[in-house]
Amino acid sequence: MATPMRTVPVEDSVPKVGNELAVGEDLSFQRKWWVFERIVWTLFVLVVVLDVAGVFGRGPAANAHMHTPDGAMNVRYERIERFSTPSIMTIEFGRTAVRDGKIQLWVSDSIVKELGNQRIVPQPLSSITGDGGIYYTFPTTDSPDSVEFALQPSKPGVFHFSLRVQPNTATPGTGAASPAPEQLQARVVVMP
Amino acid sequence: MYTILHAVLGYFFLLLTIRVLSRRPGAQLTPFEFVIVFLVGGVIILTTVGDDKSVTNCVCAIIAVVLLHRLVALLRSYFPRIGAVVDGAPLVLLEDGQWRKQVMDRMRVDDTDVMAAARVKGVRDLTGIKYAVLERNGGISIIKAEQP
Repeated sequence: MATPMRTVPVEDSVPKVGNELAVGEDLSFQRKWWVFERIVWTLFVLVVVLDVAGVFGRGPAANAHMHTPDGAMNVRYERIERFSTPSIMTIEFGRTAVRDGKIQLWVSDSIVKELGNQRIVPQPLSSITGDGGIYYTFPTTDSPDSVEFALQPSKPGVFHFSLRVQPNTATPGTGAASPAPEQLQARVVVMP
Repeated sequence: MYTILHAVLGYFFLLLTIRVLSRRPGAQLTPFEFVIVFLVGGVIILTTVGDDKSVTNCVCAIIAVVLLHRLVALLRSYFPRIGAVVDGAPLVLLEDGQWRKQVMDRMRVDDTDVMAAARVKGVRDLTGIKYAVLERNGGISIIKAEQP
């Protein structure tokens, strides 16, 4: 035998308007919702304005630049990157960066790992790991010269990177060691 | 895991965005609104699926969204306030020959929208309407005034 369908009596549970029309209107909730809507729209406008300014990356506020006091390196990068989105970091070298027709650049591991270096233009002559990073050697015929790193961050977060070149300021024939290389450090925020 | 997370975030962000877009009278999507639906949907897909275009990823994303939808529907049935947040609530636009101006302005509905709904019911002019109610789906319900 089939189980009988469970039934419950109908109650006049929907609030009425004018004591005659069941609408279920809730004006106090609706007024709060309108206030909430205004806040959301204000936030939306703010987000778009900040985005155009580049606060979330890919805009004027995201572009950054730093250089060593001796002019060996001049770096242009994006201080705010976006996850999995390509960007270019350009390093311009001054005359003091060239030694024996080569430039030796050291970059920290974070350039390759977190910031996801995809390629380097021009290709380095050699790349050797060491000191928590990678040494790249670039042949050069003239200076100033520049190198571009194509970055594509592999995860969101806040990351630091460092760069340095061995400057060419040793006095030839004196046997004096080159001074300690100037190191540039920067922080990059990778947006999700 | 990222796909599921992105699908959940995308679902709630889309829900919020569509919800704060005021209900348009008529309950039908206009071509203007189709633009919003397709464009926003397409953008959300980009971040949900990402670079992983595998069937596994696609199936997981769909299941996540469907489960989430089911969960929200379940919560809505247990908690009327959640239903009001997700779907909105009916609002009276006209009552006994009086417009509710604040509701009309906030919901961007005007007298021609109400009259359009009234004509479908065979009402000739606004004086023939006792109540006009803006429903959750954007439709306008008309209750005719009793004839003297």
